Amino acid sequence: MTEDQQTHDDRAVQSGGGPPDGSATENALVFRLRRFFTRDELPPLGTVRHWLLTTNHKDVGILYLVTSLFFLVFGGVLALLMRVELLTPVGDILSATGYNQAVSTHGLIMIFWFLSPFAFGFANYVVPLQIGAKDLAFPRLNSLSYWLYLFSGILLGISYFQGGSFEGGWTMYAPLNVPTYMPNIGSTTTVLALVLFVISVTVSSVNFITTLHRMRAEGLTLFRMPLFTWSILLTVWMMLFAFAALLAALLILSSDRILGTTYFTAEGTPGSLLWTHLFWFFGHPEVYIVFFPALGAMAETFQTFTGRRLVGRKWFIIAMVLVALQSFLVWMHHMFLTSINLQIKTLFMVTTIGISLPFDLMVFSLIYTMVKGRIRFTTPFLFTFGALLVFIIGGITGVFLGAVVLDYQLRGTYWVVAHFHYVMVAGVMALVGGIFYWYPKFTGRMYNKRLGKATFWLFFVGFNLLYFPLFVAWETPRRVFEYPAALTPWHQLATVGGFLLGISFLLVIWNCYWSLWRGEPVDGNPWEYSTTAEWAVPSPPPLENFPGVPSYESGSLAFRDDDTPETSTDGGTTVSNDESGSTAHDHHDSHASPWPFFIGIASLVFFLGLSGITTGGIYPVLTALGVVFGAVSLIGFGLESFSVTEPERGERWPFEGIENGKLGVWVFLASDIVLFGAFIGSYVFLRVGYGWTDWTLVPHDPIPGLINTYILLTSSFCIVLALVAAEKNSRWGLIAGLSTTLLLGIGFLINKGIEWVELFHEGVWLSSNVQASTFFLTTGLHALHVILGLLILLYLIPRAINGSYLNDERPIEYFGLYWHFVDIVWLFLFPLFYII
Amino acid sequence: MTSTKLYTVIYVVLFAFATVQVVIEGLSGIGYEIAVAGILLLSVIKAVLVAGYYQHLLYEPRSVAYVVASGLVTAIALTFAASYSIT
Repeated sequence: MTEDQQTHDDRAVQSGGGPPDGSATENALVFRLRRFFTRDELPPLGTVRHWLLTTNHKDVGILYLVTSLFFLVFGGVLALLMRVELLTPVGDILSATGYNQAVSTHGLIMIFWFLSPFAFGFANYVVPLQIGAKDLAFPRLNSLSYWLYLFSGILLGISYFQGGSFEGGWTMYAPLNVPTYMPNIGSTTTVLALVLFVISVTVSSVNFITTLHRMRAEGLTLFRMPLFTWSILLTVWMMLFAFAALLAALLILSSDRILGTTYFTAEGTPGSLLWTHLFWFFGHPEVYIVFFPALGAMAETFQTFTGRRLVGRKWFIIAMVLVALQSFLVWMHHMFLTSINLQIKTLFMVTTIGISLPFDLMVFSLIYTMVKGRIRFTTPFLFTFGALLVFIIGGITGVFLGAVVLDYQLRGTYWVVAHFHYVMVAGVMALVGGIFYWYPKFTGRMYNKRLGKATFWLFFVGFNLLYFPLFVAWETPRRVFEYPAALTPWHQLATVGGFLLGISFLLVIWNCYWSLWRGEPVDGNPWEYSTTAEWAVPSPPPLENFPGVPSYESGSLAFRDDDTPETSTDGGTTVSNDESGSTAHDHHDSHASPWPFFIGIASLVFFLGLSGITTGGIYPVLTALGVVFGAVSLIGFGLESFSVTEPERGERWPFEGIENGKLGVWVFLASDIVLFGAFIGSYVFLRVGYGWTDWTLVPHDPIPGLINTYILLTSSFCIVLALVAAEKNSRWGLIAGLSTTLLLGIGFLINKGIEWVELFHEGVWLSSNVQASTFFLTTGLHALHVILGLLILLYLIPRAINGSYLNDERPIEYFGLYWHFVDIVWLFLFPLFYII
Repeated sequence: MTSTKLYTVIYVVLFAFATVQVVIEGLSGIGYEIAVAGILLLSVIKAVLVAGYYQHLLYEPRSVAYVVASGLVTAIALTFAASYSIT
């Protein structure tokens, strides 16, 4: 039996080895740690090592699901605390700050740490199976995404022990979000936890985009892709761009909180408006980022349990694409109560109404599928059908908020609270249906059907009892625990509903736990009319998913047994078939690595240190520890031999002529374009608000900037020459090109350092004024990119000296893409900050 | 792939354009708006040259250029719409 044919339970391979001969001299603890994290093969399933080391997409999916459910309980307890507080119209059990923290972190946890990761648990597990891939394109990066997500959540939890967590609501509006109004270190930690979360999301987006465009089975064209996978494809594209804008907002806020820049507080500039623009440019696509996977789960279950293909499937897909595009054109409907001009409000009212039209089409498609099919009222279907019903209410009530005049009345009230819970928790309801739908696939056992149906009714009743009264009591002011006494009965009813909903969630978790041991065993496919590829393999699926190479060439799924893989890596050492001594037939991929876990820990320590770095004490030490540990982990990640096969055949439209690694770099750079674009956009916005020609440039002289432009252009030229040398097998040419680039990069930083020190001596500091803030922070972010590039060069140069990259120059090319991008950014920063 | 000679020519052009940008700033005979437009246009041309030739975007599948363009359009849309909203 080959490894591919092993079942999930069988996949455990004992890692071999006792202590090496010289172990007697080693410290026992260090030896045990080394042994614990040594990767030979994927450790047995039931061990802690397995879950710390695994990079397999199915394991990572389970980790996401379990962790997100933990955060659901965390956020749910906070919600119940609020509901208990709201039993009476005056403050009872929570202090004002306690209530503010509960409101804020409940929102942050549910939106960031529960809903999206919950959906991505399914995406991780199901998507590679649905597209006929053995794993994601970059399995170690997938594992890294998970660990960064987990540790970002832990960081958020730690914020409660640093004088209190963030109190300004999940929207973190300015200027309330700056230290003047929220001085706790815990507030800074919350912001940094979000930064870490966004890094995780970006890594994940790059990975999924590359996978979905490059790893589809032969014959699986985009239009043939299952609808759940379609929903994830569009979600990750939205994530890539939307979260980059949020990252810009969070980095600026972190700077305002730690370095003292004045983006969001400066007088004479619309700093608070800047935050709302950046936040909602992310925030509205986020609604669809959260909801689309749920929509995909609804479409899958509707097809399976009505026994027919989705009516208007093609139009359903087109509608999803339209919503994904339109989602970036509606953000200012969240800003109707601000001072933005009436023309733009009117325009965004139109685009907002417009985005409801494709949704109408999708809703009718789902309804008509039920009409044309024969419904089986299983637990998954009940949940997704219930989700459709409440989503319709959520959608209709949202249209009210899209109208400027009505929004004036409803904004800041419980109408908004009720509306978005009807949308967001509709998504949760659909994904709970997803749990029951894919539970047999994950575990090989059926859930308790009777308990499942009973749970649905409790969930549905609890949901409506909780949220519908909030429409009636819409005059309640949002985020405040005092309200008109006449509304008390509605709030008491909502609190009862909240507890019912909470109990139903616990029953879902209990059902999953109980069925793991007591559930009826199932074969590969328990659903009669399922059509997607995950049901064509055993439950749970084998380690590498398929008994052969999946192909849809014949019109339906078949498995071929011939495939000649080419190897690629996700940053580790390339292992070609010849080097490993294996043939195409017996070649197998790596599935375990300790480095993502270590990088995750290092990130936690680093960001925790950063949160209080200005206060001294333990914080600077933690920051330094995080940097050192992170550097060691990244080097370990880079040096590790980790093999991933890139199938020779498959559907790759529209990226046929480019390998996975290069596409990954380009996709990342697209996200970085939005990040820098948002920084430059912030500068332009503030300058327009200030008066474009009244704005004074911080550097007195463009010459230092011009010299740095020359330096960077020359370094770009050198890295091009290094690539040419690598292609010509010129080892010394390669070394010379890389080394000169390194020296020029250092020269760039020295020149910038001299310029900055001069400004500091003149009394110009980051906090001096908004001009100085934008100058130092934007060029500082660019300098940080230069430093990261130099660190990569320090990794590349010794390896080039040892003869690497002559036969495979791809790492040099990928680095060049990054370095040239940094150059291009400077080509715009130079005129904007030094000349015009 | 292109030749080292072409890479060198592009490098010289980039170098010259950067210099011209500073020269334009120092000219007193042209209006501020025209100078700004000229300087930014030169930056755009330089960026296109670096992306097209040094990053080989011209030789990659067109779809890669669309990915880059999507990021650019996103950033530009945010910048212009936000700035217009406060005029």
